[in-house]
Amino acid sequence: MSSGEVVTMVMKSAVEDDDAGWGLGIPEKMKNNANWVDITHEFKGACKELYLGELLHDKLFGLFEAMSAIEMMDPKMDAGMIGNQVNRKVLNFEQAIKEGAIKVKDLSLPELIGIIDTSFCCLITWLEGHSLAQTVFTCLYVHNPDLIEEPALKAFALGILKVCDIAREKVNKAAVFEEVRNVLQSEDFQAMTYGFKMANNVTDLRVTGMLKDVEDELQRKVKSTRTRQGEQRDPEVEVEHQQFLALFNRIKFTRLLLTALITFTKKETSSVGEAQKLVAQAADLLSAIHSSIQHGIQSQNDTTKGDHPIMMGFEPLVNQRLLPPTFPRYAKIIKREDMVAYFSKLIERIKTVCDVINTTNLHGILDFFCEFSEQSPCVLSRSLLQTTFLIDNKKVFGTHLMQDMIKDALRYFVSPPVLSYKCCLFNNHQAKDYIDSFVTHCSRPFCSLIQIHGHNRARQRDKLGHILEEFATLQDEAEKVDAALHGLLMKLEPQRQHLACLGTWILYHNLRIMVQYLLSGFELELYSMHEYYYIYWYLSEFLYAWLMSTLSRADSSQMAEERIVEEQVKGRSSKKTKKKKKVRPLSKEITMSQAYQNMCAGMYKTMVALDMDGKMRKPQFELDSEQVRYEHRFAPFNSVVTPPPVHYIQFKEMSDLKKYNPPPGSADLYMAASKHFQQAKLILENVPIPDPEVNRILKVAKPNIVVMKLLAGGHKKETKVLPEFDFSAHKYFPVVKII
Amino acid sequence: MATMIEENGPSTHEQSEVSPSSQARQKLEGLLNKNMRIRMTDGRTLVGLFLCTDRDCNVILGSAQEFLKSTDIFSQGEPRVLGLAMIPGHHVVSIEVEADSLEDTQRFGANR
Repeated sequence: MSSGEVVTMVMKSAVEDDDAGWGLGIPEKMKNNANWVDITHEFKGACKELYLGELLHDKLFGLFEAMSAIEMMDPKMDAGMIGNQVNRKVLNFEQAIKEGAIKVKDLSLPELIGIIDTSFCCLITWLEGHSLAQTVFTCLYVHNPDLIEEPALKAFALGILKVCDIAREKVNKAAVFEEVRNVLQSEDFQAMTYGFKMANNVTDLRVTGMLKDVEDELQRKVKSTRTRQGEQRDPEVEVEHQQFLALFNRIKFTRLLLTALITFTKKETSSVGEAQKLVAQAADLLSAIHSSIQHGIQSQNDTTKGDHPIMMGFEPLVNQRLLPPTFPRYAKIIKREDMVAYFSKLIERIKTVCDVINTTNLHGILDFFCEFSEQSPCVLSRSLLQTTFLIDNKKVFGTHLMQDMIKDALRYFVSPPVLSYKCCLFNNHQAKDYIDSFVTHCSRPFCSLIQIHGHNRARQRDKLGHILEEFATLQDEAEKVDAALHGLLMKLEPQRQHLACLGTWILYHNLRIMVQYLLSGFELELYSMHEYYYIYWYLSEFLYAWLMSTLSRADSSQMAEERIVEEQVKGRSSKKTKKKKKVRPLSKEITMSQAYQNMCAGMYKTMVALDMDGKMRKPQFELDSEQVRYEHRFAPFNSVVTPPPVHYIQFKEMSDLKKYNPPPGSADLYMAASKHFQQAKLILENVPIPDPEVNRILKVAKPNIVVMKLLAGGHKKETKVLPEFDFSAHKYFPVVKII
Repeated sequence: MATMIEENGPSTHEQSEVSPSSQARQKLEGLLNKNMRIRMTDGRTLVGLFLCTDRDCNVILGSAQEFLKSTDIFSQGEPRVLGLAMIPGHHVVSIEVEADSLEDTQRFGANR
């Protein structure tokens, strides 16, 4: 066996892992490397004889194939070249120990603090979507914690591995529930472990125990170096005290974070509250961690020449060869100064996630998910929310059946007689069968609807478009069940009705999804300016109009049910029930829809008027047309039966200004738009407890009232400078700016 | 890469009979689909099937594997699989071809 082969084998066992399938073994015949013949000179000479632009290639190899070749030495395509620009030897953990480049025992306090902080930064960078290989696993210590002799570092390395492992499991699991394969290989998370061992040979309990032991030991040290009364302070001891404290806080933080994540994996609902407490405790340590960052060692080499910062124990390039040939991104690890800020945001998000269990009705949960997702949270907190919501595939928070949640939501929204204890249908077997099977059919689409909000914003839109198909099927079923229940009810209690109860509820959700689908296009900046007018038209004239009539139908259905209950109560007990002005449960939503509708109508009229004044850039429709764009924008709505999609021709007819006599001019339209904004402002100012959303809309409505009045008065009528649309105050409605 | 393809217009150049250029072409054609080992300017070595080249000596290798710098290519651990790779001509330091694969075809370079 040649020495070369021996080295190969040593190397092999070093990189070998359970499932690292990257190295494809060396073909047998290439092992014998004696028979290579150098032809450099002849080859280059022969090439020169070719004509300029001529390709010499095999018959089976064409330009198409050539296109997909990666270009070597091109920094964008060639991940391997990074490693070769660096003028140093890249060592793995075992090699580094052997060469004495890395300490595994007797590390100084500043070294430990520096290593821990850098690892935290790597962890954050991973959570932000980079690969494990380029982040956490650039730390050599986590490659094999068994080799570490320093107890604090060993416990920390195991702790960070466990944190990664649980986080990864959570994210994977959240994706499993969505029943979409490959979803998290997408843009915001890389779950791949490249065959690294994630401390699976040690139990979670053992790791937290080890961290606790280290923590206790450090606490003793902190105490023994503390100032005693009347004692002359030795500055060296003081620094040491600070450093012990810094290390103590870091170890404790790691333990709390890990314990919180472990708690999330338990099945009881109470565990969520416990996790919330743990992360709150972890958050309390953050300011102390932030103020002691300077105690840690910094990277030592000169980074101005494009090299990575090198810390002891870290080798950014150690996994370079595990990466795919054209690995697109080079992970820029976040700075230590930003670490604490990120952690505190992460903990805030986790705390928010824990609050979800206090919301018990389905609509509330849906709103919770929508609101949470609006902050564009990180993938870990999104996944924690998902896994907290559906612990077992069917049970919400591990305790409530989805079916019961749906029934409650129905009661809350339309009070259908079939779900009223006072109605004869409630105990009717046939009616029960109908409603139960309907509710069962609802549970899957509703689970998916809630889970859609766990995706990032761009994905959500895509998925909302698709889920409309499922809701269209439900709509059909809801109408049939309504009719059947109505038939039954007519026979039993002819004075009551069961018309369009379930249908109204499904229609409400249909409309919400459609509205959200269109609005999110503004947030994602998908629409061109010349498209705004039909999007806002569709929303104001169509979707919000439908939504409001649906809500008022639900409201009157609730009232009808309440009347019947009241009468029954009165019949039995002669006590006078006090006539209280009750706040209608849906009133807030009706109010908000009115405000939104006015905002959309205002925007629509603004856009049409701007176009009339030539203040709109329109594309030269050569290869496409407005109709093509319009149909593409509303394509997902074609699967919905109610409300029926508005086709382009219909839209053109309905929005034709010539049907008015005389047709309005741009000034009239600006004025009308101003009135709509004014109306929205009035509605919103009367909301008793204004939430942030109300204030955001007001911030757009108020300036737009003024701008529209100015434009109506002919202000800057001649200027052909395009107006600006500023979406900074509200993501769906811009402030119009005339320059 | 792009330049290489764009310039690939129909080669309408007049070709004289047994010109040096057609000999060169034959030589190169004989090498197609042979295992080739190319050392690059940054010290790495690529091993793969020779598929394509042009006047600037840009070379495309198929099923290429990358070995880190070393005279003994196998002392640097496992190769990294690159697949289809194009090495720009000005980065080519040396070109080698497997001797036994030459034997059944013309003796290119081996017996000068």
